[in-house]
Amino acid sequence: MKTFNNKIIARSLGLLALFLMSFVATPQETGVIQIQTSADVEIIETDASGETVTRLEPASKVVPGDIVIYTVSFSNTGSEPAENVVITNPVPRHMEYVDGTAFGPGADISFSIDGGQSWGMPEELVVTAADGSERPAVASDYTDIRWILRNELQPGAQGFARFRTRLQ
Amino acid sequence: MRRTPIFLLSLGALIGSQPVFAVGTTAGTDIANSAQVDYEVAGTPVSQSSNILVVTVAEILDINVLLQSPIVPVTPGDANRSLLFTVTNTGNGTEDFTLAIDSALPGDDFDPAPATPSIFFDDDGSGDLSAGDTPYTAGVNDPQLAPDASVNILLVNDIPLGLVDGNLGFSELTATSLTGTGAPGDVFGGQGDLGTDAVVGANGGDYADTGTYILSNVSLSIVKSASVTDPFGGTEPVPGALIVYQIVVIASGSGTAINASFSDPIPPFTTYVAGSLTLNGGPLTDAPDADAGAFAGGAVTVSLGDLDSADGPQTIAFTVVIN
Repeated sequence: MKTFNNKIIARSLGLLALFLMSFVATPQETGVIQIQTSADVEIIETDASGETVTRLEPASKVVPGDIVIYTVSFSNTGSEPAENVVITNPVPRHMEYVDGTAFGPGADISFSIDGGQSWGMPEELVVTAADGSERPAVASDYTDIRWILRNELQPGAQGFARFRTRLQ
Repeated sequence: MRRTPIFLLSLGALIGSQPVFAVGTTAGTDIANSAQVDYEVAGTPVSQSSNILVVTVAEILDINVLLQSPIVPVTPGDANRSLLFTVTNTGNGTEDFTLAIDSALPGDDFDPAPATPSIFFDDDGSGDLSAGDTPYTAGVNDPQLAPDASVNILLVNDIPLGLVDGNLGFSELTATSLTGTGAPGDVFGGQGDLGTDAVVGANGGDYADTGTYILSNVSLSIVKSASVTDPFGGTEPVPGALIVYQIVVIASGSGTAINASFSDPIPPFTTYVAGSLTLNGGPLTDAPDADAGAFAGGAVTVSLGDLDSADGPQTIAFTVVIN
């Protein structure tokens, strides 16, 4: 009985702590999945032997026309599997999705052109103009990208989702 | 960066064949990104957001200078002949630019002489130097341009003497970003708008375009001939004989004679034959009215208008009778 109460108190305190933490902007520490996003630029250099070397560097000096690579990293740090894992990332403001660059191992990728209300494969998306005419959506129409993991994310497992954008 | 006109031409062709980047997102803009993950743990739905990652847009230093004037025809000794350019900030931040003139360029036939001062803001938008236009002084009134904003600039040169028709003279306007210039991609740390980094753009932070003056002289040649018909069927200049004068005016050179007109007093001891004046075979009235010809004050006058070499010979004829 005592143990049970202590467990409840401990759990309550834990929830309270998590609840408080959500107010100090560390929401990635709730639940069993830790999720982190980063933005990089691709640096292409020629090394001493004349080989072309590509590396990523945090995006710090981005100017219009530059390509920014967004990477969403996630891992299950809990003890139970996470099921039906769905990652969504809006295409950031002032950025334009670069066609064909969304990538995510073990995930089915779909896109939205209406802020995440509806989703589809690129060939399924149609833009309706004010006059009612329709045209196939292009990469610059995409507002959101979604990765649906095909399998459960097991404890200790990690994954990532990546896409490229061009600064307008 | 100094560029010769030939290089500018090829550069212009290159730019024309590629999409020109409209000014993009303004320097200093913060672009936030956050991903979301939704899942279930033992049937309980969980929704979480990632960290909010902010990328701040740096300032790109880019400038374009574009000649607006066509080739400007000039004559030797002309003063204050202007060339119009548009200077546009094609970067994404507010930037000051310095301006410079160079009229001693290679590849032309003469060097125009920069007037004092030689760079003006075309305040009234006339495209030409006007009384109200403000002279430019480096370091004093360097133009400050918002992204995509432009300003019209005049280069003003005097034309030297002793030139030949068709001679060309070049004059170049260079605009340079005050933050700095360099190779594309060079970074000026913290010197962009709102403390961002400034990055040198594709044009290297400066740009130039060249205008051209062409010596455009025109000369009119006038050849006058006379034929006499006497009352007896001969060609003796006796009283009562008619003299038909024919005058051929030809413009030559590359220029245009503005408002050319021909005037010829009737010779002494002759009388003008009323209604005998013609231009290129067509009759002209004697009254000083709407048509090109007139006889007044003892002289015939024909207005030829603006005349250039393409107009060909202009033939005027009139008749007098010997008293």
